[in-house]
Amino acid sequence: MATLPEEFRFGNFLASIIWIVLIIVVILTLVVLPLIFVVLFYLPLPPVNGEVLTPYLFLSMIVDPSRTLPIIKFYIHQTPFRVIVFPGFVFAAIVAAATIFVERKFLAKMQLRVGPLYAGVWGVGEGILQLAADGLKVISKEIVVPSGADRPIFWATPVAYVATAAAVVSLIPTAPGWVASNTSVGLIAVFAILGFFPLIALLFSWASNSKYPFIGGLRALHQMIAFEIPFILSALSVVILAGSLNLTQIAQTQHAFWFIIFLPVSAFVFFISSLAELERVPFDLPEAESEIVAGWLTETSGMIYGLIQLGSYLKVYALAALFVILFLGGWHGPQIFPPQLGPTNAPTIEKMVTLQGFYNGETVNAVFWFLVKTVIVIMLMLLPRGISPRIRIDILLHTGWYKLIVLAFVNMFVALALIYAGVLGPGGSISIH
Amino acid sequence: MGPHIMPDALFIGIAIMTVGSAIVALESRELVYGAIALAISMLGIAGFFLLLDSPFVAMFQITVYVGAVAVLVIFTVMLVRTQALFSIKEDRKRKVAGIILLLVFMGGIGAVLLSSGLSNPGFTKFNYPAIEVASIGKEMVTYYGPVLVLLGLTLAASVVGALALARREDIEQQNERAD
Repeated sequence: MATLPEEFRFGNFLASIIWIVLIIVVILTLVVLPLIFVVLFYLPLPPVNGEVLTPYLFLSMIVDPSRTLPIIKFYIHQTPFRVIVFPGFVFAAIVAAATIFVERKFLAKMQLRVGPLYAGVWGVGEGILQLAADGLKVISKEIVVPSGADRPIFWATPVAYVATAAAVVSLIPTAPGWVASNTSVGLIAVFAILGFFPLIALLFSWASNSKYPFIGGLRALHQMIAFEIPFILSALSVVILAGSLNLTQIAQTQHAFWFIIFLPVSAFVFFISSLAELERVPFDLPEAESEIVAGWLTETSGMIYGLIQLGSYLKVYALAALFVILFLGGWHGPQIFPPQLGPTNAPTIEKMVTLQGFYNGETVNAVFWFLVKTVIVIMLMLLPRGISPRIRIDILLHTGWYKLIVLAFVNMFVALALIYAGVLGPGGSISIH
Repeated sequence: MGPHIMPDALFIGIAIMTVGSAIVALESRELVYGAIALAISMLGIAGFFLLLDSPFVAMFQITVYVGAVAVLVIFTVMLVRTQALFSIKEDRKRKVAGIILLLVFMGGIGAVLLSSGLSNPGFTKFNYPAIEVASIGKEMVTYYGPVLVLLGLTLAASVVGALALARREDIEQQNERAD
């Protein structure tokens, strides 16, 4: 049992508590309230229960839990929320972070190793905090810029890498209407943005002023350009069947049949090309650690390495999600969530707990199936790293330029034949529209 | 902020970005920076297409010019010795002549624009429906079909020619022996 210090007096204790309360009130009035007002001035305020929301009303509604849900509902349907949080950056970053951990554990189990083990919590979940430990390590490490490096490009390219990956993520819909940028040319926009990656890799490798990064950068350029054409061609047959370039519409066309049934060869070509685009085994020549140290990442250190890692796993999520949207029917799946969690005429507290007016069974179902399919595709992308050796660069270029392009054309003709034979498409015997 | 101010602000921003990076692309002593500025300038042009409600053209502008042309330019520039290019000092007379030529050219274009219908205040009040990409595609395979076939044949012939020129027989023989 702890003992009280000798100079302890109850009056001093009370005085210190009053002093802390006073400081909190002063800070709240002088700093926090003006900040909230400034933020609320720029945010659009919703009319709630017929009255226009003012900052005072907003603060009193935050206190009253039964009126908070409509405000939250209003704000999660705004564009900033979509770009920053849900289908956008934070969601994708969480998936990417989970992918990094699962990859290490999954490969370890495949190769009969243990994998991350010690950074656990309370003795459970062996190594589940490994990612947090790695993140702290990467942030706290010194960033070494090699001598003779081109400093502006060396600093700018990792940021550009993450920003470009996040731009791809912003085009991916996860449920009907849940997309950060719903453009009519979504699929072409994805390929246009993916075209930045060879540029960034090449610039970074040049800016490092070192021979291994430059060899790796040249390999990255060769590989990405060789696989870009089959990549686009394999997606084109999906466009022929769906009759749209909008990713939401492409997913909605597959409410009855997934396109992988009609276009298995295209799906195969798309999967292989996305492995090459992601520089994953067996196409990890740009980072071949047993030949050229770490390829174009040789001179990275500290958070620069962390940013490029984050960007490449964001890309893994984005391309896996794109595969799901193009070939695996997007978010369509059997409805397993109830339309409502509780009765409509329940007391206020129960309404709060069951998220009345906030929970939407269809959207939750869509996000659930989308995530399940995306996780399966991500696991398939991780799988070759445990079982496959790296392929030679001439075989890689030969595969990209000769075999995959021809294979992509095969299924495009199949798609055209299905449309012109009247099997699919508008007025076809199997209605997919 | 009204709905009309936003596109204007975007237009001015993109215009400054495009023209500024084009000037940097020409004036930069460091060739790689010039090539990057060229890529940014092409991105700016894609931004103009987006402002003009033609996202399809904008995306192809990015795919072709930033994804392919800029990569090619930067790749070439990295393999070039820059000192050799800039050893010749610039000639003062050439600079003056260039500026005069530019002014004459700009004046000519300005005169053409002013004499056209653009200065007419009624010109800005047009509201045509947006051009659909699908209808362009239909025209391309129906009315302009023969032209498309001819263009495809020309491109195919030039690709075959490039492959024939790039083929090196000595390396081919070496590879065969190794196999």
